[in-house]
Amino acid sequence: MKDYILTVMAQDRVGIVRDVASALTGLDGNITHVSQTVMCGYFTLIISVQVPDERTQLEIRQAIERRGGVGEFEVNVRPYEQTPASRIRKAERFTLTLVGKDRKGIICRATEYLAKRDINIDDFYAYVIDGRFVMLVQVSIPDGVDADEVRSELESLGCEFELTVQLQHENIFRATNEVRPVIDLQRRS
Amino acid sequence: MPGFEETFQTIEMLQSEHLDVRAVNMGIDVFDCADRDIDKACERIKEKIVRCASPLLGACQRVSRRYGIPVVNRRVAISPIADVMAGHGTDDLVQLAHALDEAAEQAGVDFIGGYSALVQKGMTVSDRALIDSLPEALSQTTRVCASVNAASTRAGINVEALLLLGRILREIAARTADADGFGCCKLSIFANIPEDNPFMAGAYKGIGEPETVINIGVSGPGVVKSAIEKFRRSGCCRGLGDIAEQIKSTAFRVTRCGELIGREVAEAVGAEFGIVDLSLAPTPEVGDSVGEIFQAMGIDKVGGPGTTAALAMLNDAVKKGGAFASSSVGGLSGAFIPVAEDAVLAKAVEKGYLTLDKLEAMTSVCSVGLDMIALPGDTSPETLTALAMDELAIGVVNNKTTSVRLIPVPGKKAGERAVFGGLFGESPILGIRNNTSNAFVTMGGRIPAPLVSLNN
Repeated sequence: MKDYILTVMAQDRVGIVRDVASALTGLDGNITHVSQTVMCGYFTLIISVQVPDERTQLEIRQAIERRGGVGEFEVNVRPYEQTPASRIRKAERFTLTLVGKDRKGIICRATEYLAKRDINIDDFYAYVIDGRFVMLVQVSIPDGVDADEVRSELESLGCEFELTVQLQHENIFRATNEVRPVIDLQRRS
Repeated sequence: MPGFEETFQTIEMLQSEHLDVRAVNMGIDVFDCADRDIDKACERIKEKIVRCASPLLGACQRVSRRYGIPVVNRRVAISPIADVMAGHGTDDLVQLAHALDEAAEQAGVDFIGGYSALVQKGMTVSDRALIDSLPEALSQTTRVCASVNAASTRAGINVEALLLLGRILREIAARTADADGFGCCKLSIFANIPEDNPFMAGAYKGIGEPETVINIGVSGPGVVKSAIEKFRRSGCCRGLGDIAEQIKSTAFRVTRCGELIGREVAEAVGAEFGIVDLSLAPTPEVGDSVGEIFQAMGIDKVGGPGTTAALAMLNDAVKKGGAFASSSVGGLSGAFIPVAEDAVLAKAVEKGYLTLDKLEAMTSVCSVGLDMIALPGDTSPETLTALAMDELAIGVVNNKTTSVRLIPVPGKKAGERAVFGGLFGESPILGIRNNTSNAFVTMGGRIPAPLVSLNN
C-alpha cells in the first residue's frame, strides 16, 4: 500500500464526503485522516489515504472527479512524504488571538512576524463580522524563543493596527475547558 | 484547538477580569531547626527559609511569563513557632520574629506565616510565651504574620486564651497606634484552623504536611461578578439555580488555572504540590470585590435582607466548582468578606447597610469570619474576647473554619475611618451595640466541645 495526501475543493452541497469516500473505497483505499471545513459556502477537504501500490496519482484524482458534476471538484493528489527530521522541532503550542477593526494587511503583517520568529502556524481561523476582524491562530513556539518576548512584540504590532492581541499557552485553554485532570496536561508536556 | 467561544471566554477571564494567582505559598518544616541556643535556632531557621524559598521568585516569574497570569504574592508558611521554640521565653521569640522578618526579605517573599500557637484545649508555657510576645513581634516586624487556633469542634473554645488575646489585641494596637493599629491586621484568631491555608494572616505549615509544600491561593471575584452579569444580560436566566451553575462553572475554570500554575511552580522549586485554594478574596481595587458580586446578583444594598442567602449560594457554588476541578482543593475555599480589603463592603458599612451583627450572620455561611474589622479604639479587651467567642462558636458548632481579625483603632470612634494601606485597604470603624457581657466572658475557662450527633 502507498500513502497519499489529497485535497478536494468544491461549492458545498450534501454528500461530497460520501462521494470522495466511495471513490477511494472503489480503489480499495483506506482513509486514515480526514479534516474538512466549510467557509462562505465553499467546502474543502484534506485526506490521508492508503491505496494499493498499482494505483496511480492520476487514477485517484479521476476516480474522485467522476463522482462530481463536470468541473465540480478541484482535486489535488500527492504522494505522502514524511516530515524531514531536520524540520521536527521541540515547541510549545500557544493560541494567538487578534481582535479589532478590519484593515488591509493585518494577516500579512502578523504572519510575516511569526515566520520571522520561526513560529509555525498549526491552525488558523479568521473572519470579519460587521467590520470587526477576529483572528484565532494556533502556533508552535520553538524552544529557545521567549514566549513573553513574542507576546510583547505581538502586542506592539497590535497597537499599530489598533487590535487587541493575546498570546496564551495551550495548557490554559485545556485546563479551563477540558475535564481531564490538570496533572495529565503536565505529564503530556 | 478549543472553539471560538471557549477561547474568548478564557481570554476575557485572564485579561479583563482580574484573574490572578493571589498567593503562591511555600510551606517549610522548621522543626529540624530547633535549638536550646536562641542564636543558633534563629540562624538555622533563617538559613533554611532562605535556602528553600529563594528559588520561588524565579520560578513564579518564569511560570507567570509562560502563562501570562500574574502571581501577586509569594509567601512562606512555617511550622507553628510555639511548638518549634518550646522552652524559649518571650524575648527569644521576639528575636526569632526579627530573624523571620529578615529571612522573608532575603528570600523575596511578601509575608511569612506560622508565628502561631495551637491552644484550642489549653496553653503550654511556650504557647503563652508566644502570645505574650505578639505585641512586640508584630509591631517591630513588617512581614511576620501570626495566628492562634483558640477553638475546635473536637475541643471546644478556649476562653482563657481568648481573654488573654483580648488584652494582647489592645496592646498590639497601642504599639502600632500611628498606623491605626495595623499590627492587628497581621493576627488571625481561629476555630478549626486549616493546616494548608495559603492566605495570610492565617497560613502556617501544619504538622501533617510534607517537608516543603506549595499551596496556591487563587482569587477572582471580578471573574465571578462578570460571569453573573453577562448571564443575567443574556436573558437565559430562569432562576437562582442558573446563577449558581454559572458561579460553579466559573469556579471550575479559575481553580484549574491555579492548579496548573501551582503544579509547575512546585516542580520548578522541587517541593510537593499541596492544594489549590479558590477563595474569592477581594482587594481594594475596583472590579476585585466580593461586594460587587452581591450587586451583580441583585442586592443593591449589601447587608440588606437576602445578603446571607446570596452568600450561602455563592460560597457553596464556589466549593462545588472547585471540588470538581481538582482533587487537590483545600485551605479555606469559599468567599471572604474582609471589610477593609473590599471597597464595596467598606462603603456598605459607611452607608450603614452592613453592620457587625449582619457580618456575623453572614460568616455562618462563608469562609473565614469577622475579617479585617475596624473597631473603636476603646473597645474593652473583654468585648474583643466576646466578639471572638461568638465568631469561633459559629465555627465550632458548624464544624467549619471561622476566624477573627479585629483591629481596635487607637484614638478613633465608630464612624471614623481607619486606613491600613495597600492590600489591607481602609474602612469605617464599626460600632458595637450592647457590649455588656463582661460577667459571662470573665468567667474564663473553656466552653466544652459540642455534641456531634443528635444534630437534627
